[in-house]
Amino acid sequence: MTGVLFPTTTVGSFPKPPYLREARRKAARKQLDPAELRRLERQATEEWVRAQEEIGLDILVDGEMYRGDMVAFFADQMDGFEIAGLVRSYGNRYYPKPAVVGPVGRRGPLTVEWFRFSQALTKRPVKGMLTGPYTIAEWSFNEYYPTRRELVLELARAVHDEAVDLEKAGAQYIQIDEPAIHTRPDEDFDLAVEAMEIVTRGLTAYTVTHVCYGDVPRIYPAMLRLAVNQIDLALKNDDYALLDTFRSPRFTKDIGLGVLDAHSHRAESPEEVTEGIRRTLEVIPAEQIYVSPDCGLKTRTADETVAKLRAMVEGTRRMRKECAS
Amino acid sequence: METTVVGSYPKIPDPPAPGRWRSSVEKHQRGEISAADLRHIEDEVTEEVLREQADAGIDVVTDGQIRWEDGLTYFARGLTGFTIAGLQRYFDTNVYYRQPVATGEVAWRAPITVADYAFAAAKSTRSVKPVVTGPLTLAVMSRDEHYRSLDRFVMALAAALNHEVRALAAAGAALIQVDEPGLLVRRDQWPLFRRAMDVLWDGVGARRALYTYFGHVDGLYPALLDLPVDVIGLDFVAARERNWDVVRRAPFTKKLGLGVLDARNTRMETPEDIAIACRRAAEFVSPASLHVGPSAGLEFLPRRVARKKLDALAAGVRLAKEGVA
Repeated sequence: MTGVLFPTTTVGSFPKPPYLREARRKAARKQLDPAELRRLERQATEEWVRAQEEIGLDILVDGEMYRGDMVAFFADQMDGFEIAGLVRSYGNRYYPKPAVVGPVGRRGPLTVEWFRFSQALTKRPVKGMLTGPYTIAEWSFNEYYPTRRELVLELARAVHDEAVDLEKAGAQYIQIDEPAIHTRPDEDFDLAVEAMEIVTRGLTAYTVTHVCYGDVPRIYPAMLRLAVNQIDLALKNDDYALLDTFRSPRFTKDIGLGVLDAHSHRAESPEEVTEGIRRTLEVIPAEQIYVSPDCGLKTRTADETVAKLRAMVEGTRRMRKECAS
Repeated sequence: METTVVGSYPKIPDPPAPGRWRSSVEKHQRGEISAADLRHIEDEVTEEVLREQADAGIDVVTDGQIRWEDGLTYFARGLTGFTIAGLQRYFDTNVYYRQPVATGEVAWRAPITVADYAFAAAKSTRSVKPVVTGPLTLAVMSRDEHYRSLDRFVMALAAALNHEVRALAAAGAALIQVDEPGLLVRRDQWPLFRRAMDVLWDGVGARRALYTYFGHVDGLYPALLDLPVDVIGLDFVAARERNWDVVRRAPFTKKLGLGVLDARNTRMETPEDIAIACRRAAEFVSPASLHVGPSAGLEFLPRRVARKKLDALAAGVRLAKEGVA
């Protein structure tokens, strides 16, 4: 849809600038007017949109300046949830884990306003960014629904409504993040597939799902059944070991090829990116490859993020040239 | 009948109380405080957690595993033969651990947990139970680039960890717990596991507990009763009714770690719920052989919820003892 080979994009989140982190801290203590926080979130969003244009990315994101956590952001705005407290995910990283305490549902659009705002800033396409139903369910405590299945499918209907609203607002690309999709590969994968069918049913936008960590080979080739155009995956952090898995059977979707380790401080070189794409071409045809980082970059510094993305764009350009000659 | 816990405890309090451990790790990473300073904070948090468990009325406590980044790297870093790689999902949770990679002969070089145990035992008013991650779990959660054989890898780990368990016994631990949730995802490895347990517990002069969690032991029971241990801990929450059915198939000849308090859901048990579960267990195990506790480590919960659950646990066991329920 972008008309270039190896379109470049990112997984969604960027680091928040220090002024915004400070503002969020103050706002959490009710020492800052919400309107002022909103103004700073817009400012930071605009800065990242400009930065992405300047770096030369093809498909942009809004950078999620207004989100704390990818699940809590949705849970906070929906019926049926409350935040139970902070839970550690690894190292000293904590996240506010929601609890489902009643019937879940959307009160109104969740992400559309931010999509409109960021899309109005640029001529390049901005991706609509949603967290998928399986992940919202899995990363929440379920105090209410008798089974996970009932919760997941109810959430799928809500996320579908949001995707429809994004499409109506002009989104050509919609990403549904499902990093938890392989939590229970044997027990639950069919449920995850069923949920994604509900989410993307009838959409005309190009759809992406992002899956990270965990045992991807365990859900291959089953994951090719997910009702999306593209599956975005972390390749770099395991030195492209997944390519072995994708040799057979053939990877039939487009791939969002993670070429930057989102959890290392070091910026990859353009050569590393070029080499990663070259290795992928042995397994997946060029026209199926989109280039992106392994994961959201919000845990990097702004400098690390920009350095990594420049290397990604430059490495991709070199590969385009190589393929053209 | 006594109350106990399975291992981990939330390291930070609920906001707005400051998460001292969390911020100290950050300061240590930035080089603002020394390793000794961080250890001092961990000492203080450990004492706090020991107090919370005692105040709740838990009979046999742990140190809360405050110093553990996770149950895998804590041991892998202490043994020789491992390097540490990227993040992996910890079973079917939303918790991640850095994956140990065996790159050479695995060997025990010095005590890993003994100083932690001695510290906790000295500070606690209750009996402290040290916990060691078992050889099969360590092996299946790691990547083996050295042995190229699960059998040899597990047996090498069993021999190495035998030194650790013996050292804990020598340091005065009356009861030592070994965790093997990995057995439930590799049931096919029962014969290997059986041999590994003989090596692991060889010459250990303490009471021995083996805990499994995150699933049922169908297919492993009553074989589990042949293991050279005194206590078998089972998760009666994750597999719903399955473990209740399974344990009735043969007389339960060990003490039972009755994991009935849901460590992975904020939904609050009442003391009556716990008392009912105790009475149910007393149908096949003598009440004196019951170690009643959570289904797994409590770090999956926010601190406030974990604490409230322990109150419910202790109150429930009191009810059961009084025969009021």
